[in-house]
Amino acid sequence: MKKIIIIAIVVISLSVYFAMTVFVLPEKFLAKEQLAPRPFLEAKVSSTEIDLGESFRLSTVSENIGDYGDIHILSVSFPTLSEIGQNVKIVSYDFSNTPIYIEVGDEIGAKYSGGLETIIAQYPSIEAMNRPVYPESKYVMDLQITPDQPGPFTMYVKSIDIPHANSFSHYPIDGTLDHQEEYVLVYAVNVNP
Amino acid sequence: MEVRQNQFWNLQNYADKIFISGSILVSLGILLVTVGGSWDITNHLLNKPETFFSPPHFLMYSGVGIGLIGVAIAFLGYRNLQDSKEAFRLPLRLKFLGIALLIGAGPFDYVWHSNFGLDGLLSPPHFTLLAGMLLCSIGGMFGITRFLHLKSSSNLTRYLIVLGVLPVWLAGSGIISSLSLPFSNTDYFEFNPDSSFAFVIATVAYPFLISLICITAAKLSNFKPGIISIVGGLFVLIYGMTAIVPNFALLESVEFYSMNMIPFVMADLIVSFGKTKKVTMVAGGILGSMFYMVYYPYVMYTYNELLLGKLVSPSMIYHTYFELMPQVMQFTIIPSIVMGIIAVFVAYKFSNKIMIKN
Repeated sequence: MKKIIIIAIVVISLSVYFAMTVFVLPEKFLAKEQLAPRPFLEAKVSSTEIDLGESFRLSTVSENIGDYGDIHILSVSFPTLSEIGQNVKIVSYDFSNTPIYIEVGDEIGAKYSGGLETIIAQYPSIEAMNRPVYPESKYVMDLQITPDQPGPFTMYVKSIDIPHANSFSHYPIDGTLDHQEEYVLVYAVNVNP
Repeated sequence: MEVRQNQFWNLQNYADKIFISGSILVSLGILLVTVGGSWDITNHLLNKPETFFSPPHFLMYSGVGIGLIGVAIAFLGYRNLQDSKEAFRLPLRLKFLGIALLIGAGPFDYVWHSNFGLDGLLSPPHFTLLAGMLLCSIGGMFGITRFLHLKSSSNLTRYLIVLGVLPVWLAGSGIISSLSLPFSNTDYFEFNPDSSFAFVIATVAYPFLISLICITAAKLSNFKPGIISIVGGLFVLIYGMTAIVPNFALLESVEFYSMNMIPFVMADLIVSFGKTKKVTMVAGGILGSMFYMVYYPYVMYTYNELLLGKLVSPSMIYHTYFELMPQVMQFTIIPSIVMGIIAVFVAYKFSNKIMIKN
C-alpha cells in the first residue's frame, strides 16, 4: 500500500513538473512581449562658428526611454577627419565602460545587426557604452574638439540600444545614413581660416 | 601504561579532527571559488568588466585562500595521524595537486589578462583553475566522506557529505560549460568549441553529472532521506542566485527555475524508500532527464549554436531558451535518461571506492 502511494506521489509530481516546465510555463513566457529598450539623444555644440586653432564643446545626453536593455551605445563620428589624434578629447563621461576609439580601416558592425553584418570604417569615431541599461537612465559625454583645417567640421551622433528589437531601438529613427548605414544626427561647426 | 595509552588515543582523535577540519575548509573554499566563477560568467555577460579586480574574482581568490589554509591544516592533521594514514593519503594528494594548480592559475590569469585583455570562458588559465577546483573538491570530498565512514557514527555529521559533493558538482559543471558554451572567442583566440561537439558534450555530460553527484551523495549517506533534496536544492539556489537573479530580465523566470526542486525531492523519495540498485536507476533516469531545466539559462547558448544560430543578448535569453525547448527535448530526452542511468553504476563503484575498509 505504502509503495503504491509513493509511486502515485512520484508519478503525479513528475507529471506536474514536466507539464509546467516543458509546456505551460514556456508558453506563458513566449506569449510575453520581448523587452524593447528605446534610446533618445540630445546634443549641443558650444559654438557654431570658430576660428582655426580654437576649440568647441560637443555635449551629449542620451537616455533609455523604453524597457530594460542590455547595452546602450552612444556614437560620435567625424567624417571630416582621417584620424582623431589631438583633435578630439573626451572631457567627461559617465558610461559604465570606457569609450573606445574606432579608427579608419577597423571592421565594425553595420545595419543594426549586432555585428552579424560588418563594414570597414571610412572615418574615425568614438563609441561609449553602458551595460546593462535600465529604463529612464541617462548618460552624458562631453567632448572638446579642436579642428586643424578650415571649413565646415561635421559630426555624426547616434544612439543604439541592444537588443535591437525594432525601428525605435535606435535614435534618430530616420534622416542621414552614416558609413554603417545607420541613422545619425548631423552637427556642423564652421571653422574660419 | 594506561596513561600513555590514553595520551595516544587523545592525540589520534586530535589529528583526526584537524584533518577533517582541513578537508571541510578545502571544500568550503572551492565552494566559494565555484560560486564566484558562476557569478563571474554572469558579470561578463551583463556588465563586461574591464579589469581583473572585480567582486566575483575577489570571491574566487578568497576561496583559493581558504582552500590553501585547508590543505595546510589537513597536512598537519595527516602528519599526526596514528592510524588510517593510508586511507587519507589519496585525498591529501588530490588536495595538494589541486591547490598547486589553483595557486598557479591566479598569476597565470593576471598575466593572460594583461597580455590579451579579456579572456573567454575557455582559456589556458581558466582551464588550469577549473582542473585545480575539480581535484581539490574531489580531495575534500574523499577526506570528508572517508572520515565519516571510518571515524564518525553520528547521524548529524552525515550531512557533511553535502558540503563534500556540492563543490565537485559545481566544479564539474564548470568544466562541462567551458567545453560546450560558445563564450570563448576573443580578439586574440578562437577557443569556442565546435557546435556539434558542444551539443554532444552538453547532452551527455550534464545529465551524467547530475545523476552521479546525487546518487553518490545518497549512497555515501546510506540513502539517508533528504540528502538528494538538500544537494539539489543548494545547487538550484546557488545557480539561481548567480546566473538568474543578477540578470534583471530573467527575474520573473525564477518561478520556472524553482520548479526544479520537484524532481530532486522525488528522486530522494525513491532512493530513500527503495534503496536497491534497480530503484536507484529510476531515480538516476529522472535526474538525468531534467538537465536542460537545471542548467537554465546558459545551456541555451550551446543548443542555439546548432539549432537556431540566433544572436542572443542577455535580456533575450529566456525567449530563445523556451523557443528551443521542444527541439532540445526531442533530441536529448532519451540520451539524458540513459546517461542518468549509466551514472548510477559509476556512482555505486565510486562510492565503494571511497568507502574503503580501514
